[in-house]
Amino acid sequence: MNHLPNNPLLEQFLSESRELLEGIGQKLMQLEDSPNDRLTIDDLFRSVHTLKGNSGLFTFPEMTRVLHAGEDLLGKVRNGEMTFSRELADRLLDAMDFVGLLGNEIESKGCIDAGRAADSARLAESLRALIADFPDSAKPGPAGSTNAATKSTAVPLTGIPPLSKVPEALRMEAFRRCGEGEKLHWIVYRPDPECFYQGDDPFHRARETPGLLWGRVLPSEPFPPLVELDTYRCSLRFHLLTAAFREELVEYFRFVPDQIEMVAVDPLWLAISEREPGNRAGIEDDFVSGSRVSESNRSPVSIEEACALTWILTAQQQILALDDHPAWFSGRLKAVAAVLRNLAGSKGNAEAEGQIEASLAAALTSASGLPLLEWLNAHRSQFTSSLVAESAANGSRAKAEEEPAASDPSKPTADDGVKFGRRAEDKQTGQRSLKVDQAKIDRLMNLIGELVVEKNALPYLAQRAEAQYGVRELSREIKGQYSVINRIADEMQDAIMQVRMMAVSTIFQRFPRLVRDISRKLGKEVQLVLEGEQTEADKNIIEALADPLIHIVRNSLDHGLETPEGRRAGAKAETGTLTIRAAQQADRVVIEIVDDGKGIDPAVIKRKAYEKGLIDEAALERMDDGSALNLIFAAGLSTAAVVSDLSGRGVGMDVVRTAVEKLNGSVIVESELGKGTSIRISLPLSMAVTQVMVIESDGQLFGVPMDHVLETVRVPRNSIHRIKQSMTAVLRGRVVPLKALNGLLGIVAQPTANADDELSVLLVQAGGGVVGLLVDGFRGTLGVIQKPMAGFLSSLSTWSGSALMGDGSVLMIMNIREIV
Amino acid sequence: MPIEFKKNRLVFRDAVQVEEAEALLEALQKKPTTQVDLAACTHLHTANLQVLMAARPCIDKWPQDPELRRWLEDVLIPES
Repeated sequence: MNHLPNNPLLEQFLSESRELLEGIGQKLMQLEDSPNDRLTIDDLFRSVHTLKGNSGLFTFPEMTRVLHAGEDLLGKVRNGEMTFSRELADRLLDAMDFVGLLGNEIESKGCIDAGRAADSARLAESLRALIADFPDSAKPGPAGSTNAATKSTAVPLTGIPPLSKVPEALRMEAFRRCGEGEKLHWIVYRPDPECFYQGDDPFHRARETPGLLWGRVLPSEPFPPLVELDTYRCSLRFHLLTAAFREELVEYFRFVPDQIEMVAVDPLWLAISEREPGNRAGIEDDFVSGSRVSESNRSPVSIEEACALTWILTAQQQILALDDHPAWFSGRLKAVAAVLRNLAGSKGNAEAEGQIEASLAAALTSASGLPLLEWLNAHRSQFTSSLVAESAANGSRAKAEEEPAASDPSKPTADDGVKFGRRAEDKQTGQRSLKVDQAKIDRLMNLIGELVVEKNALPYLAQRAEAQYGVRELSREIKGQYSVINRIADEMQDAIMQVRMMAVSTIFQRFPRLVRDISRKLGKEVQLVLEGEQTEADKNIIEALADPLIHIVRNSLDHGLETPEGRRAGAKAETGTLTIRAAQQADRVVIEIVDDGKGIDPAVIKRKAYEKGLIDEAALERMDDGSALNLIFAAGLSTAAVVSDLSGRGVGMDVVRTAVEKLNGSVIVESELGKGTSIRISLPLSMAVTQVMVIESDGQLFGVPMDHVLETVRVPRNSIHRIKQSMTAVLRGRVVPLKALNGLLGIVAQPTANADDELSVLLVQAGGGVVGLLVDGFRGTLGVIQKPMAGFLSSLSTWSGSALMGDGSVLMIMNIREIV
Repeated sequence: MPIEFKKNRLVFRDAVQVEEAEALLEALQKKPTTQVDLAACTHLHTANLQVLMAARPCIDKWPQDPELRRWLEDVLIPES
């Protein structure tokens, strides 16, 4: 069955399973801290159970199998038969990762890679092995009993299967087919006792086995009295004899590979029933029944007789090949001769009868079976040649009879009665949340953006109505309408922003796992503290934050926190603490990553940066510690002596800074040697609306993001000093370089001063310092929806984007960092 | 109803699903002498099969489906 990617049920399953998997991972880690938390265990079990149940709705046996094994394991934990351990968590986490992987595969390809079946079986096996390894669960539980490896009562299929139970006629037929080169398989199918709950019908599966020749049902244990019988526990097993190819059978039973034992049938087994060849008693039994068969079917020659002939001949050969010499040796030879004589007689072969007599006499005198064996070997082909001819003729008839049975339409197909055994607890609760494609929200966002801009045109219209046409009444009415529309539009914008808001917990929740895995790899004891998970920010911000955070956390774990020994030496608690804290501050969200590790030594950073040529000697001398610490964000700087698979390549923190700056955010590092490090990331709550300061220069309007604006001041022209080409001014006790915006933009006009001969200075934060921009005037701040530059314009790094003003004009937003 | 519960007789029809097993067991517990008519039955869920095997009721009519009949005769005919 192939699932189309647009199957809505499947889509829902995939998105649900992703959520469930996340929850499962979290709970597993919670349990590591408090292994006896009943509620969490119950919760965890339920999640795994639900996921397994859901996966059963589709044809993903690989997934279901692993989940089932996990469920069994958790069931044991829940019942107190096993204790939760780190190893257990490890294996379960691995298994869940695998399930997640399968989910991704299904999503991208619509099916699971064929090679996954083996992985899945191996994982399930390893989970079950945990159950088996656990001493308290030595008694085979319902889960363990399905597994041949763990079940002591299981009969391993090493001996010969009990083929004697197969009716003789069928056995002959099977034997004949073997002779024609067909491979028969004997299957023992032990359904999982709990299989009914998975909508499984083992009897149906057994009946539908491809190439089924014969099968029977056996109770796996004696039935209890009726009152104690559990109808929903499967206590049957099946023996099946089939002529299908092994691959076909493996495919057919791929849902239950652990419940199947399969052997290729050796034709000899069919011939001499289940007993060992060479066993005297067995052969004598066969001998007797063999003669009976040959006598009762004297003529005409049937397929049964042909098979019996082969069978008898083989038995005789084996008897003659025996090299012991018991007292009844001559009797045995005579018996063999009698059988051969009868066989020859039944074929009307008088000549052979004479030869047998002669061989018998020779054998008796030499006291060895050799003469008879030689005769038999020489003449066996006579018997079998007639046999092959007959069986070929009979074979076609037999096949013709078989066909209608195989395609019997009255048989129920898998589809018409499949019940998935879902129980009340699986019932879906009414959905409180909607899953909406992000593109739809984005569209809403764009539309409201346009509405906000259009709405801003109304005041202009009102102004025009009054100034140009002189209708004050109309102007007032327009203004009245505007205020209403304004209010609604603002609310609407706010509501849409709310929709896009996501709690930082969505990225925080991956940290417990990450921290756990890394700290275990590094042999460090780390306690992770998450704070302010409910803090919300725009989805884009949250998502873009994920990667930088991972880099920072990794760095903290690898470089910041010490090993338990190191911490002991530094008189700290053995377990280090890593705190990730989120909080909203005005219109920004601030995320802090704080560790109580060894801290960063600014001297080391400075020296490293100097060695790598990132700073020159002069900078090395005058740089203060705070600036030195921020050098960790420079590309190519790593203080780690060796490159590990975690960090040390010197790209991590650079990636962090780039990512944060792309989001109009800032990142600051503070560290105290020996005490720990704190990294603060500050980001806007939403990228949708940017606050800009509108400035005027040479008659044109430009926008400067408010994030960069520190202050607006007017500086008298005479307090501006010129040092060579540069202008400076002393503002609030410090020297600030001044730059004319016109000059920076390549506009020839000089900055204009106001009536008091003061120049407008916009103090902005750019790079590491403060710069004063000389502009012509300020026009206040404005919330705009910034559109990135498209096409050729996107390569202009001077501008970060553009926005539409209320009067329809375009406002260019400057990228301050690039301009100064 | 795939199983019709008559006074002294259970009539199986078509494919009998797992849900029937509980009721079947109850019926056979209450009245072990109940006769079972499988003539129109094409398949019965393993759960039902196992109830029949445990309860060993008197099979009045065997399934018309020869293949199903062979399976059932194999386990439901008391060994003499």
